[in-house]
Amino acid sequence: MGLRFAVDTGGTFTDLVVAAENGVLTMHKASTTPADPVAGVIDSLRLAAESVSETLADYLGRGEMLVHGTTHAINAIVTGATARTAFLTTEGHPDTLVFREGGRMEPFNFTIPYTEPYIPKALTFEVPERITVTGKIKKPLDETAVIAILDKLKVENVEAIGVCCLWSIVNPAHELAIGRLIEKHLPGVPYTLSHRINPSLREYRRASSTVIDASLKPVMGAYMRGLDQRLKEAGFNGRVLVVTSQGGVMDAEQVAETPVHLINSGPSMAPVAAFAYGAGAEAETLIVGDTGGTTFDVSLVRKGRIPRSRETWLGQPFRSHMTGMPSVDVKSIGAGGGSIAWVDAGGLLHVGPKSAGAVPGPVCYRRGGTRPTVTDAALVLGFLDADFFLGGKMSLDRDGAFEAIRRDVAEPIGKSVEDAAAAIMELATEHMVQAIMDITVNQGIDPTAAAFVAGGGAAGLNCVAIGRRLGCRRVVVPETGAGLSASGALISDLKSHYQAMFHTRSDEFDHAGLNAVLTQLEAQCTDFAKGPGAGASAVAIDWSTEARYVDQAWEIEVPLKNSRIEGDGDLDVFVGDFHATHQDIFAVSDPGAPVETVSWNAEIRCRIGSAEPGRLAPKSGSSLLASRRVRFMNAGWHEVEVHRFEALPEGAGIAGPAIIESDFTSIVIDPGARAVRDRSGSLIIDIIQ
Amino acid sequence: MTGNQTSIDGSRLAILTARFEGIARKMANTLHRTGRSGILTIARDFSCVVLTADHQLLATAESLPIHVLRGPDIMARTMADNHPVLKRGDAYLHNSPYHGCTHPADHSILVPVIDDAGVHRFTVLAKAHQADCGNALPTTYMGAAKDVYAEGALIFPAVKVQDNYEHNMDMVRMCRMRIRVPDQWWGDYLATLGAARVGEREVLNLGREIGWDVLEAYTRQWFDYSEKRMIEVVRAMPKGKVTRTSTHDPFPGTPADGITITATVEVKPDEAMIEVDMTDNPDCMPNGLNLSEATALSAPMVGIFNSIDHTVPKNAGSFRRIAIKLRDNSIVGRPSHPTSCSVATTNVADRVANPVQCAIAELADGLGQAETGALIPPSCGVVSGVHDGRPFVNEVYLGCTGGAGTPFTDGWLTILHVGNAGMCYQDSIEIDELRHPIFVHARRLMPDTEGAGRFRGALGAYSEFAPVDCEMTVAYVSDGNLNPASGTRGGLKGKPSAQFKRLADGSLEPVPACAEVLIGSAETMVSISCGGGGYGHPHEREPQRVADDVREGWVSRARAETVYGVKLDAAGHVDRPATAKLRGTGGKREPERARVLSGSPA
Repeated sequence: MGLRFAVDTGGTFTDLVVAAENGVLTMHKASTTPADPVAGVIDSLRLAAESVSETLADYLGRGEMLVHGTTHAINAIVTGATARTAFLTTEGHPDTLVFREGGRMEPFNFTIPYTEPYIPKALTFEVPERITVTGKIKKPLDETAVIAILDKLKVENVEAIGVCCLWSIVNPAHELAIGRLIEKHLPGVPYTLSHRINPSLREYRRASSTVIDASLKPVMGAYMRGLDQRLKEAGFNGRVLVVTSQGGVMDAEQVAETPVHLINSGPSMAPVAAFAYGAGAEAETLIVGDTGGTTFDVSLVRKGRIPRSRETWLGQPFRSHMTGMPSVDVKSIGAGGGSIAWVDAGGLLHVGPKSAGAVPGPVCYRRGGTRPTVTDAALVLGFLDADFFLGGKMSLDRDGAFEAIRRDVAEPIGKSVEDAAAAIMELATEHMVQAIMDITVNQGIDPTAAAFVAGGGAAGLNCVAIGRRLGCRRVVVPETGAGLSASGALISDLKSHYQAMFHTRSDEFDHAGLNAVLTQLEAQCTDFAKGPGAGASAVAIDWSTEARYVDQAWEIEVPLKNSRIEGDGDLDVFVGDFHATHQDIFAVSDPGAPVETVSWNAEIRCRIGSAEPGRLAPKSGSSLLASRRVRFMNAGWHEVEVHRFEALPEGAGIAGPAIIESDFTSIVIDPGARAVRDRSGSLIIDIIQ
Repeated sequence: MTGNQTSIDGSRLAILTARFEGIARKMANTLHRTGRSGILTIARDFSCVVLTADHQLLATAESLPIHVLRGPDIMARTMADNHPVLKRGDAYLHNSPYHGCTHPADHSILVPVIDDAGVHRFTVLAKAHQADCGNALPTTYMGAAKDVYAEGALIFPAVKVQDNYEHNMDMVRMCRMRIRVPDQWWGDYLATLGAARVGEREVLNLGREIGWDVLEAYTRQWFDYSEKRMIEVVRAMPKGKVTRTSTHDPFPGTPADGITITATVEVKPDEAMIEVDMTDNPDCMPNGLNLSEATALSAPMVGIFNSIDHTVPKNAGSFRRIAIKLRDNSIVGRPSHPTSCSVATTNVADRVANPVQCAIAELADGLGQAETGALIPPSCGVVSGVHDGRPFVNEVYLGCTGGAGTPFTDGWLTILHVGNAGMCYQDSIEIDELRHPIFVHARRLMPDTEGAGRFRGALGAYSEFAPVDCEMTVAYVSDGNLNPASGTRGGLKGKPSAQFKRLADGSLEPVPACAEVLIGSAETMVSISCGGGGYGHPHEREPQRVADDVREGWVSRARAETVYGVKLDAAGHVDRPATAKLRGTGGKREPERARVLSGSPA
């Protein structure tokens, strides 16, 4: 086995985690290069090569596998770099992408315009055809009309096509016929059929997945080819894999064919890593917070499973487009180290959602930022060491931070600068806590029975405060927490997800019909295991269904214990699991009521790397650094011990108040909390509630 | 202010506000996820709020405006008046439009939050629109009901339904005997109660953590802060008094020319007050269109808050700077029993909010809005019937649009109606076809139906749907057939609503605006929703926006020329010289600047 690389390209930094042949990890951070993200990837690899005094070519030559998390797909959408795409859909229903599903936030805010459809109406075409809920063809496909549309697309210089017909998930004949016509009349133009990319109910979500996918095909195909080629040129001959929104990885070539899977590449890996590091017990529930410079992402692990959601938005809810794809449920809010603090005319303090971002950044970075941020508050409070930021690579301007907080916050609300800084930190914490509350209540998770896993460069500033506010028993900071997503990517499985719509009810259950569908799903999984999954050290299929009580509107995902539902015994097991899952999520169930299922999922997992996350190389010497004065949010100033994270021996306990610093983060241990380093290298912080 | 009162600074204020808003949001999330009926779980037609012990509105999360601005205060007071001793574990069911509820379909649960010493500290309220509330007909919108008896709903004026956290099963059994879909009602009832109990638990925890006295000081200062924000906003508005009218179409039980609603808005910057006089309106009518006191108070406030800086918090503090004058026994006032208020949240309520926001627009450019389209076309009606021996009934959301042009944006497409603010969801065609025996032939936007303006109204929507292998009754109350959404500040009106039955031979037969229409198995229901009104003269519209609308097919080339004065070349680009000529300006017409008015505009 050779070197394994995981590279996560974020908004500000490109994080690299390398696993050496002996399982020892190293972490590196390079600046992200937005104009050419692959350059940032290569830069991070060069840093790693330099750290072991090798040439890049020699170093990469030892590489076996590279896993890449990328924001390139979402960036292409945000910057309008996607293909000129047409949308073909059922006659009579041309405005599916315009109506979306309704809903709005901020009911009195009329300064935000209604969202433009993902595909302009001018490039939307109605196809004469209609299939009904039972799959019956009510109106046959008018192929002549389709050909006429395709001729128009040629004139319009369309570069990609998304096709979504009503009920194609029950009968795909019309979509398939349109696909054949595209290949014949517009050969080479990439297209996506809805029943293939996302065979799920609700035409808006399916259509949205379809057109997003089609629009990304040219740009992501080019990106993946470029990545592959430049890595080869640099000397890498291993396998290139990419992180998907579902929390798995796929081969770069394959994902270029289905790029909608890349929308949430990156954040989806945080819970994978958290589970690997934080799983004391299979049954444990984890709340995972990933704090970067501008956003705070929350995800969950419930009893060993990572909850998924189809309600993933490209931007703000109701003000953007839903991807409709089953993705790791991640909630993002605009809160992080760069969030700006300000006071309004009425004297109310605000933190965010505006961020100083990477440029100009916090005042203390000396890059031209003038408005105080959470990072500036952390510096004033002594959470950060002005002379030992990022392991001493950067020195911070404490006076600048102090002055900005005095001017913009302390004076307007009539507090001392230190108190104002504590207030900024407390309010930022509250915003993060509220984001966590939203996702946990929707997933039916009680935070007081969960552990909080903190990742991201700014996580340590308030992870204990967040844990305390939530009432969590403990907080976990993995040693690679500052690159949580990258370390998750290193241990994630090769995954492929297959789904089929099959509607049946528990009181009139169609065993034969269902089992035929499940057999087909299993065959798809097996093909995958034999193809991309060949050579895996372990293979498993996770079965699940999306089901609901008969009069309900929304389905929940229920894991299946068996790969078929054969007799009444199997059915009873499934129905019992449905009621139990419903009870878990909603705190109610209705054991007498029939259950209907809408769609069936098989996810094949092929283990291609290590199941264990590995360890950073330990630092020798004393863990104790110079002590300093720190102002805790609710506990005043203390002269506290400062410890070097990397040098803390396993089992060593540290009682708060204290600060634990690494090359990438600074962890604030509040008075009353107690931290200990566990066998996996993580810091486990017990909170006395 | 006494000297020993706790003082809350701007940062503490922000944190406790986030905490209370978080509680209201947690209530709402719980209700959305646990409700049974489509109207709660799909359309999201519900609201959750927190009130102080003296019944002042504190936190609303993102609720439907018409549900919560006023009314919860009156409901909580009714609870306290009728039950002088409130105990922990109590819960009260309230849907009485004579005691602060919006309309009888909005079943609300109130829970008093009682601290460990037995003191009533806050009240939490969860309000949820029912799929059925036991009306005489299978609809929650009884437009033609001559009084509450004809309406038929059970009325609960803050009735105790839980004591010591135990259900009063007598009340439950009564509801089950009257409400058409009793299991669905019971599921929704439990979800609503559950949401209120979540709110209670969270407020109790907050009080224990922070201290009840601190929370009391917080509420006082939060109201003062909110009032201060409102004072600043009103002081910056031009002084003036404007009267606007808006007319609801004739329905059964109304005068032959409909119901004209008159709203007089007076902005008094010196006193930092906005007053709305609603007393010059007809008496209550023998139909279901009368407003409840809650909606008569809330609707003008919807118009006001739609018109000003949206960051002003909406609570009892900012409300101090608003005075609404109502009259007893007026259609926009305080109805007396047994007046029917079945449709009190939409039709006439929209005819109150709309002229208020138009009146404010007339005071100065940059304020107010045009009129939003009227409700409730058949596409948002209640469908019912019997298919294969199984009865079905539910409200559908198959395309209703109508957002008004504003000073900043074109009309929000899926606004539904002015009091809803677009918070409700729209149905998936596939979900509707799976859940009900219906087939949706078409749902599309209709070109050239927008109220033209600098910022235009939303387009109207066309939908056509039919029963599958059965007959189907569609109940609706479609205003806006005759009186479309008006524009303001030179903006034009939107296109009206309409409704037809398409017969088996394909021909269209007009059907009444307020009706329960039976659609045969070979027929279809055709529904057309209103376009929204425009804001500002169409010639002030940025020509590129007009070109975009033409390219997208929302506006025809002919209309671009004749109404917007924008000439496009063959490729669809703006022909600037020809446009200038059409607009008669020699160049782009400058948007009107905000005018400061000292008196009433002409």
